[in-house]
Amino acid sequence: MPVGPRPPEVSVAGFAGPLDLLLELVEEKKLDIFTVRLGELADEYLARVRALAALPADEVSAFLYIASRLVLLKARSLLPSLVPLSDDDELDTEEELRLRLIEYATTKGRAEALGDRLRAGDRAFHREGGTVELPPKGGNPDALAAAWLKVLTLTKRTDEEVEVPGERYSVEQRTAEIEALIAEQPAVTFGTLLGDQPTLGYAIVTFIALLDLYRRLVIDITQDELFGEIRIVRKIRRMEELP
Amino acid sequence: MTRSVTAAAVEAVLFVAEKPVSRSELAKTIGAGSKAIGEALAELEEWYRGTGLRLQHEGDDWQIVTAPEMAPHVATYLGADRLRLSSAALETLAVVAYRQPVTRAEVESIRGVNCDQTIYTLMSRRLIEELGRREAPGSPFEYGTTWEFLECFGLTSLDALPTVLSPEGVRSDDAVASQ
Repeated sequence: MPVGPRPPEVSVAGFAGPLDLLLELVEEKKLDIFTVRLGELADEYLARVRALAALPADEVSAFLYIASRLVLLKARSLLPSLVPLSDDDELDTEEELRLRLIEYATTKGRAEALGDRLRAGDRAFHREGGTVELPPKGGNPDALAAAWLKVLTLTKRTDEEVEVPGERYSVEQRTAEIEALIAEQPAVTFGTLLGDQPTLGYAIVTFIALLDLYRRLVIDITQDELFGEIRIVRKIRRMEELP
Repeated sequence: MTRSVTAAAVEAVLFVAEKPVSRSELAKTIGAGSKAIGEALAELEEWYRGTGLRLQHEGDDWQIVTAPEMAPHVATYLGADRLRLSSAALETLAVVAYRQPVTRAEVESIRGVNCDQTIYTLMSRRLIEELGRREAPGSPFEYGTTWEFLECFGLTSLDALPTVLSPEGVRSDDAVASQ
């Protein structure tokens, strides 16, 4: 069996567990799993468990559990008069253990068959794609042309433009301006606030000012459609909303 | 031979899908009856025979995957590593695959050892998943295999699990009565 870089489960001396050890004994001795007197394997099983000295305590208990059941089966066969302690001892019969052993043998066979498939490497792959990002609907070629024209005009202008000194607008100043404006009229568009040819700094300051006003519940911001005009609306203050 | 319109539609949808699509979702998407979708899927299954593709289904969820025989080429192209599992993990996986839905206690009873670690390993590799809780004392989780499991083992469905003869020499699918 191929083992990963670090097997996740301790398997001592090649045994995956207590049932595996018992199965190994049966197979080694070429015994028939259906007829073997399991009790007769008790001594040998104990000897093997003893050899697994390095076993962690919690693992050893599982081995000892099977070992104790084998010893019990052996004792019963030696002393047929030994009466089970109670009817619940049905669980301790040889047949129950045999069934478990058979089931384990089947599981092991299946695991090997799966392992063979894995080793053969005949696996399937599914198509691994990124999520398809569809562009928004309703694209308008005319709008594209208009936008391009606008860009062209803007570039022409920038050529002639003198560099604007930084820090010409403060957010506080702009906030106060917009607040005053919105106090006079109930609604204004973002485009109006920006004016005809805003510089980058002016646009950013205006935007931050709007965010601040929105945060302070002075305005509401709405947009009817994607890329449509952004409307800044005076917010009707209710008492409970006051900060 | 050409495909029916429904089969072509099913193929197109499954082609762009990144995860399995249920039959009812296919029916709704394409606007065909569940029966027609079933026929279309059967048609596609037949169509893919001998091609580089294959139809895989986990229950009623369908997916187009590459043919397992082409795995070396696809793996080279994707730079994919081969999955490796310890024999302990394989045993736990075998119990889950053939016995699902199954609880941790049932797996441990069959294997005779604690299976916390192997179940964790298999879950983290998306080979098994929690299906829900069983209506039993303690409401334990029930585990089952995933579609990634089918893919990793090149199985078109759970019906294609390798048949292993039990010691009795019969098909062992349910030969051994569980307690």
